[in-house]
Amino acid sequence: MPERWSDYLAIFMSALAVGYMVYEIDRRRRNLHDVFDVLGGEDAELTAGLVGMVESGELQPYAGATLA
Amino acid sequence: MPRAPRASGSSRRPRAQARTPRDSAGPRSPEAPARTLDARRIEAAAPRFQIFIVDPGWNSPAHRVLRENFGMVRNLAKGDPIYVLSREKSIAFALSQPSLIGKGPAIIVHDLAALREGGATGFHGFRLHLGLLRTEQQALLALQSFTRFLATHRQSVDLEAEIRRDLRREGIIGAIEIIMHHESREIGA
Repeated sequence: MPERWSDYLAIFMSALAVGYMVYEIDRRRRNLHDVFDVLGGEDAELTAGLVGMVESGELQPYAGATLA
Repeated sequence: MPRAPRASGSSRRPRAQARTPRDSAGPRSPEAPARTLDARRIEAAAPRFQIFIVDPGWNSPAHRVLRENFGMVRNLAKGDPIYVLSREKSIAFALSQPSLIGKGPAIIVHDLAALREGGATGFHGFRLHLGLLRTEQQALLALQSFTRFLATHRQSVDLEAEIRRDLRREGIIGAIEIIMHHESREIGA
């Protein structure tokens, strides 16, 4: 057991630092996945919508050099 | 943004090729090697990805960056077809998929090899929500990384594993940067 109050403070500050790091890493991981991620089963509806537009001829490969 | 791993798998056989029926079932005819070669040429020429751009037209840095650099993306996408949804179609599509609202422009890439193999129930591509990036510099870096990713993973046998490995590596690098008190790189600020 720590004997001095400064030891308690050091333990508390260390725990705070570790907690902050875990929080910050998780936040950045979530941000990264928000921006870039794989398409999985939960995106099937989105994929079906796009594939449907291509198959129906509603969407054609874009031939322009610039976006209008 | 996941970056291309050093060994991008270009020396490995693409998934489509792996499914090519082998000609070991029967006695080899003189035409067999030529037919195999033709099949490989067709597979090599066939697009690996299908790229969709959904841009409802938010007045955002990402919108401007995409407009200004679309030509470069198109040139670097080689033979992969790019489908650009008009503003009206993008808005209608975003309304049917509310999770997309506020994240556009979005670039959605279908991995045709994965779609052929397992449909849309499992891994079948990846997407970039460019609209979530706040500055033009971030958006441009993301677009460049994304284009590089497409180019370097075209021949990938197991794209999902490579993406997940890259994302994991980004997470580890991000953690190291946090510990070292560095600013985050490229995406994820």
